[in-house]
Amino acid sequence: MNATAIATAVRDGTLSARSAVQTSLDRIAATDGKINAFTAVLAERALKRADAVDASPRRARMKLAGVPFAVKNLFDSAALERRLEAEGAVLVGALNMDEYAYGFTTENTHYGPTKNPHDLARISGGSSGGSAAAVAAGQVPLTLGSDTNGSIRVPSSLCGTFGLKPTFGRLPRSGSYPFVASLDHLGPFARSVADLALAYDTMQGPDPHDVACAQRGIEATFDGLTRGAEGLRIGVLGGWFRSKAMPEALAAVDRVAAALGTTRLIEWPEVERARAAAFMVTCGEGGALHLDDLRKRAHDFDPKTRDRFLANALVPAAWVHRAQRVRHWFARRVARSFETVDVVLAPATPCTAPGIGTEWIELDGQRLPARASVGLLTQPVSCIGLPVVSVPLWGLNPAAPHLPIGVQIIAAPWREDLCLRVAAALEAQGICSAPVAAGL
Amino acid sequence: MDHTAAIDAAAATLGLKITAEQRAGVAMYYGLAAQMAALLDGLPLTPADESGTVFHPVAPEVGE
Repeated sequence: MNATAIATAVRDGTLSARSAVQTSLDRIAATDGKINAFTAVLAERALKRADAVDASPRRARMKLAGVPFAVKNLFDSAALERRLEAEGAVLVGALNMDEYAYGFTTENTHYGPTKNPHDLARISGGSSGGSAAAVAAGQVPLTLGSDTNGSIRVPSSLCGTFGLKPTFGRLPRSGSYPFVASLDHLGPFARSVADLALAYDTMQGPDPHDVACAQRGIEATFDGLTRGAEGLRIGVLGGWFRSKAMPEALAAVDRVAAALGTTRLIEWPEVERARAAAFMVTCGEGGALHLDDLRKRAHDFDPKTRDRFLANALVPAAWVHRAQRVRHWFARRVARSFETVDVVLAPATPCTAPGIGTEWIELDGQRLPARASVGLLTQPVSCIGLPVVSVPLWGLNPAAPHLPIGVQIIAAPWREDLCLRVAAALEAQGICSAPVAAGL
Repeated sequence: MDHTAAIDAAAATLGLKITAEQRAGVAMYYGLAAQMAALLDGLPLTPADESGTVFHPVAPEVGE
């Protein structure tokens, strides 16, 4: 069941929260040995919380009554968890990730790789790989993850789930472990757009404990999902967003564009430099954040991230400061492009899920390190904090038709409602969907 | 370009020890960062192009 259906049934009294949570725990027990999405399962706590929901006099009014959810292993009693639980959702566990959220593959040396539920020989994507895999495997209907350079959109694309990276500053990050404060976003994964919107609406609102969190009231999206995409001006991003995409990624965007009736090509200026800006800000802030630990115990770091963090700690301040200026330059130019268009489309990843252990991918005639390059198409967008919904399409890679690939639906800042409306229209047309993986 | 001198100088300044096992990876990723820095330098900016980082003053009620 999806989150909306569970909450409706628990509110109506036709399903108990305990039963919904027990079903989730049973599914986790039956499947996690294969995919390794969870780093911790909180069964006893979850069942106690479910009983509290069942006994609550507010149960019939709780938006997420009895909905099991799980969070990336960098949430620690975070504001977003508390907001979901206040509406009756029940936390069942913590989810695997690239160490310190640095990577796009979730090949975590300490916890092992999270495998793609649709093909166990392939990566789940990252860094929120456990968050996407748990939803794709039907373990929970809702998870939370973080996205600094693509870490919600990349695993959403590779695991075939819906994912929302809100506008930078929309959802508070307090109670989550940071990676790059200038770029960190938190957001939900789900198997339906309605679930995504329901969770997102529940988590909105200002928080004085996150300095980047905007002082904006709740701008609800759920009730507007059925308005469709008609009347919206929609374009397809060209240039970098097409040259760095393999045929399956281009086919996905083109299918979405055709369904939305657009052939309009939009060019953003200097996208490669925007990606470089995101890369450099990540180097500077990520390296500095871990400097003390790198001095004292670099040997404890995951070997897949250790050398990157060490190198990052050494970059000159002038490089990082220039990156922040380029970032702002780019944001101002892209903002102008939204005067003539409401939504733009781009692939979420250059390709479908690579095999676990893949070191290199070839794109646009270049041999590139796989772990740093899967996010080439997401980095320029999160660099300037735009809201994005990633929607999953299927059957576009002839060599691997069982694999999904995502398309980014991107809007101007604070217009998550438009991203979600377009995603809901595509879901209603059957263009995108997020089925539970078969055969687990 | 060889960044060995820059890596060694910055590591010594920051008190970071780069082991033999780590050196090749650090050099590769530092080189990647240097490529990104060159790209960023290639965009003409004016003094009016301000940083993307903005300081937010802290209100008394959320002070520590």
